Amino acid sequence: MSPTRIYRVAGTITIVLLLLIPLASSELNGLGPLVLSSYFMHLAITAFFYAILASSWSLLAGYAGQFSFGHMAFMAIGGYTSGLIGKFIRFTTAPSELCTDIPLLGNWWLVILNIRRVGTIDESCLDMAKTQTLPAGTLIIFPPVWASIAMGLVMGAVFGLLVGWLVLRLRSTYLALFTIGFSEILRASISAEIPITEGQSGLELVPLFPAGIMGFTSTSKIPPYYAMLLLFLFAMALMTWLAGSRFGLFIRAIREDEEAAAALGVNIVRYKVLVFVITSTLAAAAGALQGHYIGIITPNTVIILQMSLVIAMAVIGGLENIYAASVGAIVITFALELLRTNITIGPLHVDMTLWRLVFFGLLLMLTLRFQRNGLLFPILERISRGRVAQETVSIRVESEELEEVVTEEEVALETEEEETQPASSEENPG
Amino acid sequence: MLKLTSNSIYKNFGGLEVLKDVSFTVEGPELIGLIGPNGAGKTTLTNILDGALKPSSGTVYMNGERIDTRPPYGVARAGLGRTFQVTRAFRRMTVLENLLIPAMAMRATARQRDFEEKAQEVLEFLTISHLRNEYARALSGGQQKLLELGRLLMLDPQMIILDEPFAGVHPRLMDVIYRYITEINAQGKAFIIISHDMDTIFTLSRRLLVLNYGDLIADGDPEIVREDPLVKAAYLGEDEE
Repeated sequence: MSPTRIYRVAGTITIVLLLLIPLASSELNGLGPLVLSSYFMHLAITAFFYAILASSWSLLAGYAGQFSFGHMAFMAIGGYTSGLIGKFIRFTTAPSELCTDIPLLGNWWLVILNIRRVGTIDESCLDMAKTQTLPAGTLIIFPPVWASIAMGLVMGAVFGLLVGWLVLRLRSTYLALFTIGFSEILRASISAEIPITEGQSGLELVPLFPAGIMGFTSTSKIPPYYAMLLLFLFAMALMTWLAGSRFGLFIRAIREDEEAAAALGVNIVRYKVLVFVITSTLAAAAGALQGHYIGIITPNTVIILQMSLVIAMAVIGGLENIYAASVGAIVITFALELLRTNITIGPLHVDMTLWRLVFFGLLLMLTLRFQRNGLLFPILERISRGRVAQETVSIRVESEELEEVVTEEEVALETEEEETQPASSEENPG
Repeated sequence: MLKLTSNSIYKNFGGLEVLKDVSFTVEGPELIGLIGPNGAGKTTLTNILDGALKPSSGTVYMNGERIDTRPPYGVARAGLGRTFQVTRAFRRMTVLENLLIPAMAMRATARQRDFEEKAQEVLEFLTISHLRNEYARALSGGQQKLLELGRLLMLDPQMIILDEPFAGVHPRLMDVIYRYITEINAQGKAFIIISHDMDTIFTLSRRLLVLNYGDLIADGDPEIVREDPLVKAAYLGEDEE
């Protein structure tokens, strides 16, 4: 079976299994003896979230060589943008007069809720307007969750463009330091701007499906499971297409040698900025969706430890392959939770809630020391490139044999000529 | 027909003057050798021609279009390709992928399979077709040089600058490179070849440019340049008189 076919079959089976998993959830009374708890479903959603982050970071760092530490910051930008829109934006059928009113089409108004601090309480200008200025019967609409998430994506792309452009001339350590700085500025700003972002308390987001969907309540795990799974599959499909296209070819060339790529006609500025924009947008999408699923987002999501977790997932899976990175993320998300079970061997009691990160760190160190391309990437390489060495040898042997035949023919021809030449010289001695 | 004009190129790095008022013109498929002692400014001149460096003053025109203000990819698309002194193959990409990059970069809507046949022809010409699917890092130094030359064939420029194409290459591969230059030149592409291999450069080139500490001290027929007192002085330290 050809490697492409193996990948297609394995991919199709995986997608079908992932789509069927909710049928076995406890919410739907399980599938025969298999009953997956609500906690398992939560872990699966979280695993997809990390898989989007790890695979998109793999595209950025593994394919394009842009070793950025700002990926979680873009994730947070998506989450916070969506959350802030939910907190501050409303649509009304009349101007509030007390808030910032922006006229839209027809009789609709976009209302930005100003922050009015009365004593220690933030009072909504719209609540005040309801009793003071808004005519009776005025409709007040919350922005739809999908629109907030879409705006999160837009902001992710805008910041991706900005950072991508700013780091154009930075490489390796300098790029890493710049993006750490960017993340820290964002984290500090979110923490400091308490009236807007709620600071360390965290910004609350409305549920992904506030009114429930298709008979499921707003707290059900099944709709968010499918939402995150679809985003994950979309992200993987997009990145697969990109990695196999001219885009993938060029960003890998940029990773290998920017100057040589430019000398061969590759517009390195365009592709470096583009890879930042695409991966930042994917991270922002994951952040916005996860924010609405969890219901809260805090500045701690941007801390370096969280970024390190995503990097470790991609590295352990395989940095230079989006599939390896995503599988690494899914396996590690589950493994980290399974490792919470304490171990007691005789008098020895190991508190795994503390020690699991030590094991995780050890695995990362061992991977980097002995298997730098990750644990899964070599397996994928074996599938896709297992026959290359054999092909190379057989083509070389064939060409050498051909060369030998040609040489033998040439030798035979030369001998023939030599045999005939003396005769002719004898015939024409002068 | 190709016309490249370098007008009074001057380049300094702080107080160090690397190129001083270098002017020359290349017309048609010339085969030019560019020589000079270490530090003469050969690579800097190459970097300016290819857009990697901007001249401090002076201009470069190619077929009537100014190219010294363009980025390297713009210069490549204008028709000037180059190799580097130290081989720069894309090591973690296959030989075929290495070849596809310039071809794809030249045509915005092209697909990889559109160029696979041409890539195969190039690999056969360079005698490395059996390495098609190997990673470039698995190739020997000489084979990587051939791969660089192959990428230029896929870029299909009007003018090719080769920086030390014979350095550290096995005699058999040297023959392949020699054949590459003469055959491609015969097909109508101009060459500027930088080399310290004097025998080869004098045999191969039909015109010689000699740089010495940033000055273009000679430009002409190799046999005449060989006898130029300034060139002798630069290379052998002989008295100019």
